Amino acid sequence: MAAVPHITLGRLPLENLRRKPFRTTSLIVVVAILAMAFFGGSILALNLNKGLKSMEERLGADLMVVPSGSQSKAEALLTNGNPNTFYFTNDIGERVQGFDGVEQATEQTYIASLAAECCDEKVQIVGFNPETDFVIEPWIASQYDGTLGKGEVIVGSSINVSADNTIKLYNHVFPVKAQLARTATGLDSSVFISDGTVPDMVSYANKVTTRGTIPDEYADRAVSSVLVKLQPGYSAEQVADEISKSDLKGVGFVYPGGVTSTTKTSLNTILVYVAVFLIVFWALALIVLLAVFSASVNERKKEFASLRIMGATRGMLTRIVLGESALIGLIGGVIGIAVASLVVFPFSGAIGKELELPYLQVGVVPCLLLIVGSLAFAVVTGALASLVSAFRLGRPEAYLTLREGE
Amino acid sequence: MKNRLFASIPSIVFGVLIAIAPHTFAHVCKVTEMAMKCHWTAQAEIGVGAMIAVLGLIALFVEPKIRVGLSIAVILAGVLAIAVPTVLIGVCPGAMMHCHMVARPTLIVLGVLTIVFAVVAVLLDSRTAKRA
Repeated sequence: MAAVPHITLGRLPLENLRRKPFRTTSLIVVVAILAMAFFGGSILALNLNKGLKSMEERLGADLMVVPSGSQSKAEALLTNGNPNTFYFTNDIGERVQGFDGVEQATEQTYIASLAAECCDEKVQIVGFNPETDFVIEPWIASQYDGTLGKGEVIVGSSINVSADNTIKLYNHVFPVKAQLARTATGLDSSVFISDGTVPDMVSYANKVTTRGTIPDEYADRAVSSVLVKLQPGYSAEQVADEISKSDLKGVGFVYPGGVTSTTKTSLNTILVYVAVFLIVFWALALIVLLAVFSASVNERKKEFASLRIMGATRGMLTRIVLGESALIGLIGGVIGIAVASLVVFPFSGAIGKELELPYLQVGVVPCLLLIVGSLAFAVVTGALASLVSAFRLGRPEAYLTLREGE
Repeated sequence: MKNRLFASIPSIVFGVLIAIAPHTFAHVCKVTEMAMKCHWTAQAEIGVGAMIAVLGLIALFVEPKIRVGLSIAVILAGVLAIAVPTVLIGVCPGAMMHCHMVARPTLIVLGVLTIVFAVVAVLLDSRTAKRA
């Protein structure tokens, strides 16, 4: 004799969902879109916050003294702009160090390479003094414990290093000592050299092109910016004002704190849009689920009444309805999170580039926590939507409901 | 008929996309003096994508039992489509290179989708084959 299919109370919610494939699929789609938006939006917000934090850490100077008219180029260099070459031709570093309120000053030289063989686009070459630098050096030291020698380079995360650990710039091959972790700033597409290598780099550049490079006569003294760390009690504006009132002419100022706050403002705008979108979408999804569950429970009154007559308690009926909605929440949540993951994780780099904001992928643990949270959110939303219908179920008398309409 | 379409249409679509993506909308780096890794990945994906599409095309005309076998082959080819840009050949290491930023993730996503649809096709067809 063939085995009679046996449905337990625990399996009943699943069997109910299987018997109504169209309704189940529609509800799963609604929950999946909700979970996708929630998970995608949250991971976007987390990544933007991490990017901003990294940017604040990397822009560790209080003030940047740059040639007058080069402020926008310097700002672009700090964020994600195009590589640039600009320079002073005087001993600006020593002069700036002498001003009141300046605790530490270090010089950097910026040279924009031609489209390097390694890369699609131009790279920014940054010359720095490893002994006095307080912005790049601590970051480099956290990942490379050697001293950067003459003729050696350290590269940012976006630079394409050849298989033999070298990079070709201006037809000259440089050994790469280290590749740094991603920071979500312009430094990712930069090549770092010590100040001793700058004159050689300038001479290699001038052999290849004369456009947009530093002339040979300034090769050993060209400085693009002086990064200043202030003494406590002094503001960047105060020191900048003092420098501009002195006999130092042709200087401009960039306030990295201002660059960070502009980025923070753009980021906050995006986060507000994401939050509003999520709230509106959540409310809509809840209304749709509420309506569908109410309608479904309403049309299944007789089914539930039959179950009551067969001995099911009111609590059992509530558990069946809540079980169905929780199952829909779980399946929709898993699908939504999987689809969002297929976009946000592999395309992290492209998203960061399109947003033009610091965007840094958060680690595994926060991602896992967010996955669990999003899943719980989807299940709770599903259960919440059926709660009203589930409680309504317990009220009417089973016999009267079964005979309704006779 | 539903199972037949499920086993063949996604494979044809994703197979074609895997073959053409690295040459069109998710292109790899241009070949200059020396062809880079991503160029060879793009070439290899033509073969892998074409194989998936052909398997999908064959699935249109065969019985469920054979479709199960074809779908298993599609799953393995989907794994290959992911392995080519990640493990077997790779792309340019620069994180901001187009092949790294767009072509590789596109191929990974297409590969995953190919596998997911083929797994569902295996489940559907094996149930039908058992009943027959």
